[in-house]
Amino acid sequence: MNPPPSEVPYGTLDLMVLKTLQVMGALHGYGIARRIEQMAEGALALNQGTIYPALLRLEQKGWIASEWGTSETNRRARFYSITRAGRKQLAAEADTWARTVAMVNRLLEE
Amino acid sequence: MTALRVLAMRVKAFVLGSRNDRDLDDDIRVHLDLLTQEYVRRGLSSEDAYAAARRAFGGAEQMKEVYRDQRGLPLIDGLVQDLRYAGRMFRRDPGFTAVAVLSLAMGIGASTAAFSVFNGVMLRPLPVPDAGRLVLLEPQRRGTQFILFNPIFEELRRRQRTLAGVFADDDRPFLKVTVDDAASSSYVRSSLVSGSYFSVLGVSPSLGRLLSERDDQLPETSGGESCAAVISHQFWVRRFQQNADVLRRTLRVRDMLCAIVGVAPQGFISHQGGYAPDVWLPLRPLTDRKLLESRSMAFFGGVMGRLAPGVGMRQAETELTALYQQILAADAETRPADFRIHVVSGAQGFDHVRRQFSTSLTIVLAAVGVVLLIASANVATLLLGRGAARLPELATRAALGAGRLRLMRQLVTEGSLLAALGAVLGLALAWIATPALASLVWTGDAVLADPRVIAVAIGATVLAALVCGVLPALRVSDATLRASMAHDGRTTTSHGQRLTRTLVAAQLALSLVLVTAAGLLLRTLLHFSGIDPGFRPEHVVMLDVRDEKPGSSFGRVDTAEQKAARAVLYRTVDERLNALPGVRAASVSWLGLFSRQDLWLPLIDPDRPDSRPEGRVDYVSPRYFETMGMQILRGRGITDRDREGTERVAVVNEALARARFGGDETLGRRLAIKYTGEQERPFTIVGVVRDSKYNNLRELRTEPMMWMPIAQAPFRMSSVALRVEPHAEAAVARQAETVLKQTDGHLMVREITTLSAQLHRNTARERLLLGLSSGFGSLAVLLAGVGLYGTLAYAVRRRTREIGIRLAFGARRRAVLSMILSDALKLVALGIGVGVPIAVAGGYSLRAFLFGVAPVDPAALAAACAVLALAALVAAYIPARRAAAVDPVVALRWE
Repeated sequence: MNPPPSEVPYGTLDLMVLKTLQVMGALHGYGIARRIEQMAEGALALNQGTIYPALLRLEQKGWIASEWGTSETNRRARFYSITRAGRKQLAAEADTWARTVAMVNRLLEE
Repeated sequence: MTALRVLAMRVKAFVLGSRNDRDLDDDIRVHLDLLTQEYVRRGLSSEDAYAAARRAFGGAEQMKEVYRDQRGLPLIDGLVQDLRYAGRMFRRDPGFTAVAVLSLAMGIGASTAAFSVFNGVMLRPLPVPDAGRLVLLEPQRRGTQFILFNPIFEELRRRQRTLAGVFADDDRPFLKVTVDDAASSSYVRSSLVSGSYFSVLGVSPSLGRLLSERDDQLPETSGGESCAAVISHQFWVRRFQQNADVLRRTLRVRDMLCAIVGVAPQGFISHQGGYAPDVWLPLRPLTDRKLLESRSMAFFGGVMGRLAPGVGMRQAETELTALYQQILAADAETRPADFRIHVVSGAQGFDHVRRQFSTSLTIVLAAVGVVLLIASANVATLLLGRGAARLPELATRAALGAGRLRLMRQLVTEGSLLAALGAVLGLALAWIATPALASLVWTGDAVLADPRVIAVAIGATVLAALVCGVLPALRVSDATLRASMAHDGRTTTSHGQRLTRTLVAAQLALSLVLVTAAGLLLRTLLHFSGIDPGFRPEHVVMLDVRDEKPGSSFGRVDTAEQKAARAVLYRTVDERLNALPGVRAASVSWLGLFSRQDLWLPLIDPDRPDSRPEGRVDYVSPRYFETMGMQILRGRGITDRDREGTERVAVVNEALARARFGGDETLGRRLAIKYTGEQERPFTIVGVVRDSKYNNLRELRTEPMMWMPIAQAPFRMSSVALRVEPHAEAAVARQAETVLKQTDGHLMVREITTLSAQLHRNTARERLLLGLSSGFGSLAVLLAGVGLYGTLAYAVRRRTREIGIRLAFGARRRAVLSMILSDALKLVALGIGVGVPIAVAGGYSLRAFLFGVAPVDPAALAAACAVLALAALVAAYIPARRAAAVDPVVALRWE
């Protein structure tokens, strides 16, 4: 049996959104949410709606940009893409994340 | 950087407003559609798929709320909402709004107007560059104010190093000048100043040049009877129509011909607020040589300097005092250690006006502060009363999810909005009131558009907003809201009432202070009007006159011929004035009564030459005592037979007779005046007049005084008095002026008043304060009454059911009436209990203005309490009547 899905750790949603956009290019909100769920393979309990405040936060900081486009259902929808500042931020954050994880792992292995 | 960017985005979103919401809704719809399709693909029915999509998406509404807070400017959004809501509330209750806004407008307007006058007189620096570096030099002897004599001033100025420059100033509000070769002369306001005047103040000319040290040399050195003059911008406009050829015009001042060399800049008034000279002239060329050299007679009004760079006031004071003592050490008679130079800030200029008005202005300021407090408390009371009525509404909003903070914010917004409206109206009131208020005090400018005044206006508004916004908001506690919900809003917890009642009592207490002050001042003025001045002031016209005949000046003794010619001239004037229709008696004199002059000279008894106490003196024409209505007790007055060649005679008052001769016979005794040429020629006393006031009603003891015939005077006349038929004042004044002009063109009239007006002027400060304190006092009582009325009316509404039950069980209506009235009187008693000590303290601070009444005056206090109690009863009567008229059936069915 799979372990119960865990909450999204604080602050990691931004990182996941940035990474998704870096890999996938422009996506609408649904696409981003889907992609994150697929990658988590059911290990993450994500209220998909919560990514919209996160997207707003990232856009306000200038790390992603949005553009109006047409969805698969032929409706008006916002498509998000990562900016140059966003890529830089992602690199820095990923680095910090990796180091934090490595440290925590070392602590746990001892 | 990022923070700025975020703010910019938020502002943009805030401006876009509801368009953002549509965008988000679109996003959500697309998201749910796609998610539903996904679930359908996995095999769910379309309904189940939609439900599953909603579940996976999470709470859309909550997310929107988070999103909105993140997106725009939620605080401002809320504020706009609150303001809209407050506006609706006010529109729904225009009566309440009008009373509240008017109360606050009066409080804020009065404080702003009073402060702008206070600021103009007391605080505003001179409009010159770097006014903060200006200092006043005040000589002191053993700690009390002393005078700087000119030779010592000049030596001090030459040797000192701590000031970049220093000047002396002698203000002459009436200087006779002739423009060019005009036939007649006129008076101008002038200042005689050292040559460094304009450079010390740092002023540059708007035309020509200003005075310099070279202009301020003695005539011998500068070569001749010419001098330089600078005129004010205002005078240039008024007299020369702003014509540039003014620089070719001249002003004749006595025997000096002064060329106008420049015009002062437009914004520059003078070295002192409230005094606006037309002309500045150099001090030394226009001052008598004897005065310039005198080490015992001072003539200039003050000395001002500008600190040298890097020098502080204390350092300047130390060094100037050392130098001053060093200079005085040359004089064997003085003890230099007694003297020092006190250096004080001169940023606001000379302080003559400030000294005169500082206490009254401070008191007025305190009074308007009290009015502002009462007004704010009053509005708070009204808001509290209304707040209690609104508790059910607030409780409902709380139940529907509004946080307590949100509700408090709503109430604070309402209070602040009221305060802001009050401020707008109050500033309009201040705009109107300030010039009127300022003109009571001085001739200067009181500017509203001054940073300090603006700060005070804002401060007053904030105070009002705090009192009438925060106080009601604090009452919205969770407990009151719960209680209100539980009881269906029909009863209120008592602690809300307690705050309201405290506020009403505070208003009553503060009103008591103002009303008591008004009472004390009223008693003072009544006392003044009850004083027997010793003369009859009704129907006496007074002319302030100067004999400007050239020839003699200060300290120079006139020749016998000059004196004789003058005696003839004055006799002619006297006879012509007495012959005017409507005149009962007329006289000319050297100084006259209530002329604001106070000259004392040593009076020497030739039989005991070492006894020479000083006394007041005046020289008068024969009908002087009759004109003034003074009573001759023994002997005779001055008569027409007392002329320049005849026996020298004098009339003295009882005080002099008592002080000099004790119980002995006064008539026939002799006294001489210590004055050049007069010392050896005593006067024989021929009459005694009843004691009278001289130039101040406040004087408790009549001082010794002696009158001599003006025909035997070494001085010139300066006062004309005419006792006239009732209502003939104006006509006689005109004719008297003509008589003077026609008899001799050098007799120039400065001012025409009446003796009663002079007495009136003597009590001007007290009347000003009485007017203001009774005005503010009435306003305060009115506001407190409104507050009391509001509180009681609300209490009666709240207790209608209880009263109904009482009546149903047989209580008499009179009992209900007295129950409400005694409730009001309880508040009055509380207000009086708190107010009396404050009122007593207030009375002490008014001490300087009280005369014939003690600072703690039981009568004034009792009267003030009575006024307050009466106002309270009037305010309480209507609610009490309403309570007594309650119909038990209706009240009980109201359930």
